[in-house]
Amino acid sequence: MILTGLLLVVFMLLGAPLFSVIAAGAMLGFYRAEIDLSVMAIEFFGLSEMPILVAIPLFTFAGFVLSESKSPQRLVRLSNALLGWLPGGLAIISLASCALFTAFTGASGVTIIALGALLYPALCEAGYEERFNLGLITTSGSLGLLFAPSLPLILYGIISGVSINDLFLAGIIPGLFMLVLLAGYSFWKNRHVRKLTKVSGREVIAAIRESIWELPLPVVVLGGIYSGYFAVSEAAAVTALYVIFVEMIVLREIPWRELPRIMRESMVLVGAILMILGVSLASTNYMIDAGVPERLFAVIESYVAGQASFLFALLIFLLILGAILDIFSAIILVVPLILPIASQYGVHPVHLGIVFLATMELGYLTPPVGLNLFISSFRFERSITEIFRATFPFFVLLLMSVIIIAYWPALSLVLLD
Amino acid sequence: MNTQRYRWLKLAERWGQWTENALLFVLLTGLILLACSQIFLRNIFSMGFLWTDGVIRLAVLWLGLVGGIAASRDRKQIAIDVITRVFPVKVKRITDIIVHVFTAGITGLLAWYSLRFVQDSYVFGETLLSGWPAWIFQLILPIGFAAICFRYILRTLREFIGSDL
Repeated sequence: MILTGLLLVVFMLLGAPLFSVIAAGAMLGFYRAEIDLSVMAIEFFGLSEMPILVAIPLFTFAGFVLSESKSPQRLVRLSNALLGWLPGGLAIISLASCALFTAFTGASGVTIIALGALLYPALCEAGYEERFNLGLITTSGSLGLLFAPSLPLILYGIISGVSINDLFLAGIIPGLFMLVLLAGYSFWKNRHVRKLTKVSGREVIAAIRESIWELPLPVVVLGGIYSGYFAVSEAAAVTALYVIFVEMIVLREIPWRELPRIMRESMVLVGAILMILGVSLASTNYMIDAGVPERLFAVIESYVAGQASFLFALLIFLLILGAILDIFSAIILVVPLILPIASQYGVHPVHLGIVFLATMELGYLTPPVGLNLFISSFRFERSITEIFRATFPFFVLLLMSVIIIAYWPALSLVLLD
Repeated sequence: MNTQRYRWLKLAERWGQWTENALLFVLLTGLILLACSQIFLRNIFSMGFLWTDGVIRLAVLWLGLVGGIAASRDRKQIAIDVITRVFPVKVKRITDIIVHVFTAGITGLLAWYSLRFVQDSYVFGETLLSGWPAWIFQLILPIGFAAICFRYILRTLREFIGSDL
């Protein structure tokens, strides 16, 4: 049993697709329990019994279309017109616009490529220190994870069975908290940079007019979800249709012949996630039948007493997890196991979700697999070590905020009910 | 010469990719239109069709599997590659072969047992969406897993025969 488990871990570390490793584990378990392996197909078919799942392909596609269009440029222009007068303003603009963009495009690293490439030269030109800029852009690439309608939030809701609307509400204050902390640091660090743009009513109007088609999007989607007018899956459908309408029909920034390519690229990501989710339905069921969460809890209980130390252990575990696994696989694999354990320690499932995602956000910045480090290193042609060093102060700040979010549940829960 | 010899395979690959793209296009477009028309009908005319929910959910499953096939072709399946990234080329080739054989084996098993699942569903005459035979919708499972299995077999063979294949 232990030997085969180890063997599977070896396959995983050698680069076997995660879904095949999970499927292998589940099949071994079912085989030992003398259950016919057709159960794998039955469980996988369960993907078609999850109504909210439709939000994943729709939001992913909309995000891919947005990042192929010129909306990043418009977003930067508009925020610059509104905030350019503030000392450290451009840095704060970068943080805010990246967070918004990431929330809509699902933290697949596309923010750094789409927005970072615009903001980085602008920051350098405005007199900000180069290393600061590298760190800022790399960090911003995953900053919007806690805001609706981010894909990891939706996925956590699907896996944990917690209401997605509750998660969207819960993410607001912790997300803003992280944003404000980083903005404060940027402001303080660059208080001497004084190459500011003047406020110009004309530029503000021009920028608003240019983005007039995209401005309703956050309002309709977020307003629709938070007011309860749309279900999440409906908001996703409206977003997808609206984005096609605006970028392809009204603004015509993406030619129609590009549409199949964008669809394929976005659905490749969706396919990769759903393959893992499908086989995990089987493996999770097996583990619950075999009483794995209970046994895990018994082991943990003998080492960890009380909620405070549980949260501490959880943070350490998630930091390590985030450093080796991408956020989607981590949610699918780990949440079903830690959710029952966390509730034994009295951790609210919504709070757990926010802590989970906030900590995984740090995983984007930690070597060896921090996705943002690689994308920045590739995009700005710097070594990973250089990027990591530039990111370090931001990393420390985010780590502090994650600790505060973990030990101050009200931050996540105050907006519920 | 080899290029000549494997021409049928190249043709099959081109058709395969075309089919993937066409399916993804049809499924995703259908999904967007269906989901939007549902909101429209419900809010404007206070009506809706019972079957749309079911069709949407099945379309997501199909998208997942066809996307999964496409991800295998594009080498975009989610995997941990931090360790193998630093391996020397020769070692990496060996570990790649091991991993491809493993994945082909697992997906082969998944395809086989999915086929049994579909057969059972056919024999017992299960239905979905008020009366349609369920096996039609379930067929994507064995097809999807078999296509992914084929991908990894091909990749293993390529390591031995060379990239012409």
